[in-house]
Amino acid sequence: MDFEWIRIPHALLTLLIVFLYGLLLGAVIQKIGARAGRRHGIPFYQNYIDLIKNYALRTTITHGFMFYLGPVFRLTGGVGLLLFVPTIYGVAMHENFSFAGDLILALYFVFFGSLGMALGAGESGHPYAAIGVSRGLSQVTAAELPFAIAVFAVALQYQTLSVTDIVAAQQGSVFNWTVFTNPLAVTAAMMSFLGSMMRPPFDVVLAPQEIPIGPPTEYHSAYLALMQSNRAIFPIAKMVIYMNLFFGGAANWPVFFLKVFLLYLFAAFVGVVFPRFRVEQSVRWFLVWGVPVAVAGLFWV
Amino acid sequence: MVSAIHILSTGLGAAFLLGLLPEAWRGRAHLVTLAALALMSAIALSWVLAFAFDGQQMVDVFTAGVSPPFAINLRLGMAEAALSLTVCLSGLLSALYLKTSLITQGRRAMAVLLIAVMAFCGIILTRDIFNLFVFVELSVVSVGGLVLLSDDNRALGAGFKYLIVSQVVSILMLLGVIFLYHAGGTLNIDTLTAANAAGIGTGGLAFFLLLMAVVAEAKPVPANGWALDIYQAAHPAFSALFSAAAGTAALFAVDKVLVMGGPTWPPVVAGIGLFSFVAANVLGLSQTHDRRLLGYSSIAQIGLVLGVVGLKDVVGEHYLFIAGGILVAHAVAKAGMFWLSGLVAERKLSAWAVLRKNPILLFAFATFVALLVGLPPFPGFYAKWELIHALMAQDRVVLVALILLGALLEATYLMRWFGYALKRGADLESVQFEVRKVAVVLTAALGGWGLGYVWGELSGHANLLHSMALLFALGFVVLDGLPAWVKNTVAIAGMSAFFYVSYPGYDPLQLIFASIILLGGAAIFVAGYHERGRRLGFYPSAMLMYAGLAMLIVADTTFQFFAAWEVLTVGSYFLILRGKESEPHALSYIVFSLGGAFALMAGFALASGGVSEFAIQGLSDVAAEAAPWVFVLLAVGFMTKTAAIGLHIWLPGAHAEAETDVSPMVSGILLKAGLFGLFTLLMTMGKTQMYGVELTHVLMWIGAISALLGNLMAVFQEDAKRLLAYSSIGQMGYALFGLAMMNHLGWLMALMFVINHYVYKSMLFLSVGGVAKRTGTKLMYRMGGLITLMPLSFVAVLIGIIAMSGVPPLSGFGGRWIFYNAIMTAEYKLPILIIFLSGPIAFLYLFRLIHTIFLGQLKDEHRRITEAPFWIVVPQMLFVAFLLGFAVVPGLALRHVDAYIAQFFVGGGLSWDGLTITSPFGYWSPVSIMIVTGAIFAVLLAWLVFLNHKAQKVKQFNIVFAAERPHRPETTHFAWNFYAPYRKAFGFLLKPYATWFWDGVAGAFHGVAETARRFYTGDGQVYAFHMLGFVLVVYLIAMGM
Repeated sequence: MDFEWIRIPHALLTLLIVFLYGLLLGAVIQKIGARAGRRHGIPFYQNYIDLIKNYALRTTITHGFMFYLGPVFRLTGGVGLLLFVPTIYGVAMHENFSFAGDLILALYFVFFGSLGMALGAGESGHPYAAIGVSRGLSQVTAAELPFAIAVFAVALQYQTLSVTDIVAAQQGSVFNWTVFTNPLAVTAAMMSFLGSMMRPPFDVVLAPQEIPIGPPTEYHSAYLALMQSNRAIFPIAKMVIYMNLFFGGAANWPVFFLKVFLLYLFAAFVGVVFPRFRVEQSVRWFLVWGVPVAVAGLFWV
Repeated sequence: MVSAIHILSTGLGAAFLLGLLPEAWRGRAHLVTLAALALMSAIALSWVLAFAFDGQQMVDVFTAGVSPPFAINLRLGMAEAALSLTVCLSGLLSALYLKTSLITQGRRAMAVLLIAVMAFCGIILTRDIFNLFVFVELSVVSVGGLVLLSDDNRALGAGFKYLIVSQVVSILMLLGVIFLYHAGGTLNIDTLTAANAAGIGTGGLAFFLLLMAVVAEAKPVPANGWALDIYQAAHPAFSALFSAAAGTAALFAVDKVLVMGGPTWPPVVAGIGLFSFVAANVLGLSQTHDRRLLGYSSIAQIGLVLGVVGLKDVVGEHYLFIAGGILVAHAVAKAGMFWLSGLVAERKLSAWAVLRKNPILLFAFATFVALLVGLPPFPGFYAKWELIHALMAQDRVVLVALILLGALLEATYLMRWFGYALKRGADLESVQFEVRKVAVVLTAALGGWGLGYVWGELSGHANLLHSMALLFALGFVVLDGLPAWVKNTVAIAGMSAFFYVSYPGYDPLQLIFASIILLGGAAIFVAGYHERGRRLGFYPSAMLMYAGLAMLIVADTTFQFFAAWEVLTVGSYFLILRGKESEPHALSYIVFSLGGAFALMAGFALASGGVSEFAIQGLSDVAAEAAPWVFVLLAVGFMTKTAAIGLHIWLPGAHAEAETDVSPMVSGILLKAGLFGLFTLLMTMGKTQMYGVELTHVLMWIGAISALLGNLMAVFQEDAKRLLAYSSIGQMGYALFGLAMMNHLGWLMALMFVINHYVYKSMLFLSVGGVAKRTGTKLMYRMGGLITLMPLSFVAVLIGIIAMSGVPPLSGFGGRWIFYNAIMTAEYKLPILIIFLSGPIAFLYLFRLIHTIFLGQLKDEHRRITEAPFWIVVPQMLFVAFLLGFAVVPGLALRHVDAYIAQFFVGGGLSWDGLTITSPFGYWSPVSIMIVTGAIFAVLLAWLVFLNHKAQKVKQFNIVFAAERPHRPETTHFAWNFYAPYRKAFGFLLKPYATWFWDGVAGAFHGVAETARRFYTGDGQVYAFHMLGFVLVVYLIAMGM
């Protein structure tokens, strides 16, 4: 593989677009959720303001080495995930660094940021952070399972682990999308998707009422700003994977924006309708409802 | 050559001579006794040597110079000479040991001793049944007298009971002799055999009575209460003689008599013997009195030889090798154990702790236990191997199962006892033992090693005591007095040199395992420099394990493989036993391991059809009907070592309670022996079906469930080392799963796990062990916030958990990537789902491990502790460096293996071009991942430092705590029961079914033992009744056959 340096500015461009869109999308979804609850909600530019404010704060403290590194791990996880997957199908400049690895790299890189973040939060010594991590990790073991099975089903279906090849296989017609060729697997994956979006019924990890905001409790100023940046990038990076695997990918930016928005909206929609699960309830829910559907999807192939 | 008759005449003559000496010359009388026994031994020895080296033929001696029936015929062949030598030597050593008692009792006691030894030799040498009767009577009278040498006041009762039962036996015997004479017209065994006297008229019944009389002397269950009471009450030196010499003589008598009776009787004798073997071993389980326990063990061993005597035709040409091997091992070890028991003041098993401070006696104890259990390189090991193969050749599967069960039970109580001696109770003050007695014990122990050499030479296999690796390990027994650091250096140098020398001969698979065993083992030894003093016993044990492992990977034949397997098992057992609290866990380990080893032995024997020298490659051509059973036996044996679920209950305790630098050895390295075995099994036998079920599919399920439950159990541990131990069960499950997929990438993934698991598990055990050394606890919730005090240990754990969890960019990800590519072509999908579930669960316990130890709240009592000891940190840093390197260039190790595996599967390999690794389905570029991740991380870190470079470090309790302030570190550190909700969701999977099952099995055996031992009431009349009942029942059974 010959590495061309031009890939770096191209990747940074992708990153910038996703970052800006992510901040906007976060606020819009927030607002939609608020409106569904008959509240006014935040203005669509709120996230930009918060971010600038947090970067500008001068009072900073640290609890130690890992605490300092936590947000760096977190954001590296988000940025890395985005850049290890091709964003726009067929456009070389948005293939990013996908030459480094296939789908499996993306699947496992998801954990990079979570793990680093959890470690950083742990060093703060705050029990709420640890409780949040304990809940989050517990939930993710079950939430990931239907997704992992669905991914396996899709990989078997297309006989490849390369994201680009999977998207390529879905081109030609809407009915080539995995959501139509293997609806069971996609259903299961979408259940997992809900579990990973930090919205009800699966938002016990942040649990603002009992353990104010969970793992990030102790983070403030630039640390928090880094994490907010991640909160703009990471969900979209994840949705890029879903979009590529199940919904035909995106051949240009408008389609990309639309598909990502709809995916995000789906999570928000479910979130405003359902109340929150406790951890053991969500674990059971994924095992009882998610896994059988995913298994059916696997045998569909 | 001195005539054999002088073995008898010397004993008899010296006994008469003692009568002529003045009563006051007690010391001189003792010298005469010793001289006579030495002379008898010398005569026997000269014959043994003549038979062994000069091609001496068997000789017959006729008293009075005429042939039978007018004279008595003695016969001396190799067997007679060797057994007489055993008898005379045990007499000599016992007389030496008994010096004080004999001198106190005077010359009469010495004369009785001489008569006893002479009588035992007579029983062995004579070919005349009346003469046999005479010698038996002589032995009865002298034994009855010698029992009284004991200080124990129960000895009188025991001697009396013995006389009662002996009278019953004598009556049977005399009746048998009379009627046989009536039937055959002669008393000579050979003439009677030729005349088929047992087939004429009353000859049959007469023969039966004679046979029962000699069998009774071999103390079969249940007609042996008298013998147990003697063992329990008599002087231990006499018991030594009674067990070693009387037992030997009785067995040879059975062998001689049995030829007269035709084909009906050998199976009966075999049945009696094997029943005694198993029953006595079951009964031994519940014994708490050391000498009575030895009594049960004696009865069991003699029963086993009796069984072999009965199976003479089945075992064929190996008869003398097998029966002799078990018999001499028993004689030497049992005599040695009884002599040892004379040095111990109290009779409960844990009282043997007095030996703990005496390395020589401990070495002797270990030798005797190994001799009795039949571990390599002792005669019982070779003999058992041949026996099982000989039986398998004739399809005697039930007998094989019985013998192995009995052997396992015996190993259980002996090993338990050894564990008690080493670990139970407080350390006692060092006791001074009499040099004379210690010398006697040591002579027996060295004799055991000598016999091991002899049997190795006779075995027809490679003599284990010629193996360089084993000799090097045994050399550490001699070096044990040196300081630990010297031995440590020798060990590291030796292992590295061994690797360097052997390196060119390895194939890629062996090379991977050898690197882990030899170089990896040397790396862990670096931590050993931390230990001060001499660290007695550590190096011989550890090196024994490594020697076994090194021998294992180059084994060509099933015998070599099995011998190496046993060597590494024994070494690791001693190693595990060294931990402070590890005694019950070490026992559990050795029992499971020996059980697994016996499954291997049975599997190998079945595979080879009873050919004892069988190439491992031959496993690929096993006959179709035997193949599934061979596969199952071998797989079970190997999975015992990898602690597959159900067979795993030994692992957590054994790994967690071992010493700091032992845990990485037994976890990081030892477990790989099981995987190597599974590799070997699958490479040779491949896919095998049993009743239509694909066995590799079953293995896949076992692997997946092990992975899930191992990980799940790890999540709920509070003890850091136990957490790591359970995690090993999960990791080995993954590897087993990979192997059982039976495709190219599955095997590659298993190998990746072999390498990775060694590195990160060794590293994590060392880090956690170092932390435990500083904090004084292994319980994680009692730690916390140690990151600033122990930064290097933290880094090691951090790198370890990233690698283990499979998160890029470290090498664990490579394992996962290969896994996903492997399952793309797997035939079975369902077990894969379980693996999917167990993967993320690993995050739970890994996070917990690092969080509760290093993050969170520092406890007040830990504020002054420092980084883990230097020498424990050094290997961790080596591992960190290796992990980072291996993450970038996995190809260095893997691509050769990848090519090697290609010969077993068509297609499906990886291609290694440049920096990218490509499979048929995807691609992976470790260097690119590392660079991209590193670059992003560096940029963001620089950005944060730019923004926050003035960040102020605040104190521990300076945290946002809504309207309150934290109370104490203990209440603020969220650590105990970390995943409480998870337990609610998954707790039902954690019920310890396996533990309940094995507890039930153990409880059942102990219950039977506890109930059955009440059968021996201690009443002489009851014992006489037992004897008659026994004879009657045997008669009825024999008639029914």
